[in-house]
Amino acid sequence: MTRREYILAQRARHGRRALAVLPVAYPRELPTALDLLAVELWGPPGPPRSDAAGRIQAYVCPVVRNALAFLAAGGADAVDGALFPHTCDSLQQLATLAADLGGWSRPALVFQHPRGPGRASTRAFLDGELRALAAGLERLAGRALEPERLAWAIDLHEEIDGLRAALLDLGPRSGLGERARYALLRRGEWLWPEEHLAELRAALAARPPAPEAPRGVPLLVTGYVPEPMALLDVLESAGARVAADDWAAVGRRVARTRTEGEPWARLLARHEALPPCPTRAADQAGRVRHLEGLLDRSGARGVLVHTVKFCEPELFDVPAIRAAFAARGVPVLHLETELEVEPPAQAVTRVEAFVELLSSGRAA
Amino acid sequence: MLRRARYELAGRAVSPFLSRLEGWRRRLRPRPGRSGRGGASPFGPPLEAARKLKELMTAHYFQGRFAEGAVPVAWVTSGFPVELLRPLGYHTLYPENHAALCGVRRLVPALSDAAEHEGYARDLCSYARTDLGSLLTGETPAGRLPRPDLLACCTNICQTVLYWYRALAARLGVPLVLVDTPYVYGEAPPHHAAYVRAQLEEAVAVAERVARRRLDPAALRETVRLARDGSRLWGECLETATARPAPWTGFDGFFHIAPIVTLRGTEACNAYYRLLRDELRERVRRGVGGLREERHRLLWDNLPIWFAVREVSSLLAARGFNFVCTSYTNAWAEAGSRVDPDDPLGSVGLAYTHVILNQDLPHRLDTLRRLARSYGVDGAVLHSDRSCKPYSIGQVDLKERLARELGLRVLLLEADHDDPRAWSSEQADTRLTAFMEAFA
Repeated sequence: MTRREYILAQRARHGRRALAVLPVAYPRELPTALDLLAVELWGPPGPPRSDAAGRIQAYVCPVVRNALAFLAAGGADAVDGALFPHTCDSLQQLATLAADLGGWSRPALVFQHPRGPGRASTRAFLDGELRALAAGLERLAGRALEPERLAWAIDLHEEIDGLRAALLDLGPRSGLGERARYALLRRGEWLWPEEHLAELRAALAARPPAPEAPRGVPLLVTGYVPEPMALLDVLESAGARVAADDWAAVGRRVARTRTEGEPWARLLARHEALPPCPTRAADQAGRVRHLEGLLDRSGARGVLVHTVKFCEPELFDVPAIRAAFAARGVPVLHLETELEVEPPAQAVTRVEAFVELLSSGRAA
Repeated sequence: MLRRARYELAGRAVSPFLSRLEGWRRRLRPRPGRSGRGGASPFGPPLEAARKLKELMTAHYFQGRFAEGAVPVAWVTSGFPVELLRPLGYHTLYPENHAALCGVRRLVPALSDAAEHEGYARDLCSYARTDLGSLLTGETPAGRLPRPDLLACCTNICQTVLYWYRALAARLGVPLVLVDTPYVYGEAPPHHAAYVRAQLEEAVAVAERVARRRLDPAALRETVRLARDGSRLWGECLETATARPAPWTGFDGFFHIAPIVTLRGTEACNAYYRLLRDELRERVRRGVGGLREERHRLLWDNLPIWFAVREVSSLLAARGFNFVCTSYTNAWAEAGSRVDPDDPLGSVGLAYTHVILNQDLPHRLDTLRRLARSYGVDGAVLHSDRSCKPYSIGQVDLKERLARELGLRVLLLEADHDDPRAWSSEQADTRLTAFMEAFA
């Protein structure tokens, strides 16, 4: 079933409206609480779906160019509105370009992350943004947000995050190959959360009772989005595995905390508990410490920094990541891709060489 | 005490003396003049105020060499509400302005190489690469930059500055104050204004701690008044170009903008703009133009191409094309319109939130339309700037709208504001020449 068919089926069966969501972080609990199906739009990968990509210069990241092309081509015409989180300068501009100058004629919502360290002003602003977004989503859903329903949605997403975290930590011991494991994790980008939860439960219940020790060189992967997905096949066939995930699209959106109390305070706490991410302007030193912690806990022997071309938030952190791991003697490979459908041959060669170096115990 | 005395002496006596000395030298040297192609200069007589501008900016950078240990030093983004820092006695330095200076002197490739060697990608903003390269190598055309005690960053011009200043903070080990201005889509909701105001209060607390003194409310009001007046004076300078012929070129404006960026909120800045305004008005009265013969009037959008300002302006001026207005220089005139000395923090927060780059594209389009109409332009060049995505995304649509709605001839010219490696003189020449031929 394509995403479009799924959206239409959800509407037909449950009367559920749908919302296209641009990358990266947003409070998923809010659309869920309002019975809105959130369908994320990470490009999509591959060549732009229409000439509208040409309305944005070629030196802008392909996620943004492809998204405009997709929206303008009617690719998202099955949804009722779009949410543009303020992830970077380019997505910020896309929100006004598509909504105000053409490409997206349905309701456009924005969600701005506070940029900067945790201060009193930051929390108040985040609270204001969450409530403003909730008001916009209420209008889109045609219903009011009930506190009980919000609490239910938070519980649901906490359970989902718990299972996603388990799947990330298990790696190959989950019984799934890298591609299948990530395909399952990424189905959370568009499935109705209860269905995603059911799939996660089933996958974890089906894992081997006594798994073998994982094979392959353990890697810490940090970056934007695991696209092209075939990159995971490349890693696996080269003899590597993702032991620790810090992709913005995956691991960086898993809050590993349980919250209690009043729903709005929980929502705020969950958002603040997300791993540090440059697209939310997280402190660089804090991010490096987080990555070092991931490396230590996972036993990863190398770091793959996987960025999308022209992604400033990610690129600015690369020197600090390189320096921190170089100081520890941990090899780092910086791989840049452009939302291709298949990994470029050069990228494949570099990954293979990197894994080979790690396998032989030599630093890159 | 001794350092402070040296700092004051450098600013008040030594620097003016050196400037005069340089002036004498200049007068003794034969002047090359501003020539276009074919020998005779297409430009009008140079502005007398330009000499004063050079003195002012040289003095600022020269005094900066003695600031360390004498007064608190802050490195500041161009969009940071510097009004908060001046009453605390900070000597402010603008890395963007410094990077532009490096661009004009064509030092960017070498400095950027140093930053790229450290791992900063060439796809990052060239201002950031230039300044990080300058920090890494110690190379600067300003002689020596004072080490900051404080970094002050405002996200109203882009999110890039936050990453850039964090890198500076990590390398320099000094506090970073951040004023995060939420982007304005249509109207800003009340919680956005409250957020910015609260951050200004937080920033003041840090700046006070670093400067070891309290912010005097009366001094703050006075600085805010000076900043507002400076912004108005700059606006009055720009408005003189509504006259035909315009008494200067938009590219002159790129250089004369320096005081409103770096000395905003000081009497020196305002005194300079009164001088410049009066000279420009006098030129209007006498019919003296920025070009000897102004045939076509153009609008420029986005930052200048610092390393090619002379090249581009000469090519266009030779055929009578004058950039009479630019959205970039105009932004500094608009910034002060919301500032109210009686409500310094509230109004400053509002003003700095509503700068052109922090507002949506309909606002930008309105600004371009208004400039095009009030300056009577018949064409526009939109600089598609690889290093400034907030300014550049949307320009393809803006180009089409300006052409369709106002009947302007519009060129999208791809370049980079600071890095000549992203520039091809031949291609630019061909495109600009073809653009000019369309006016025949």
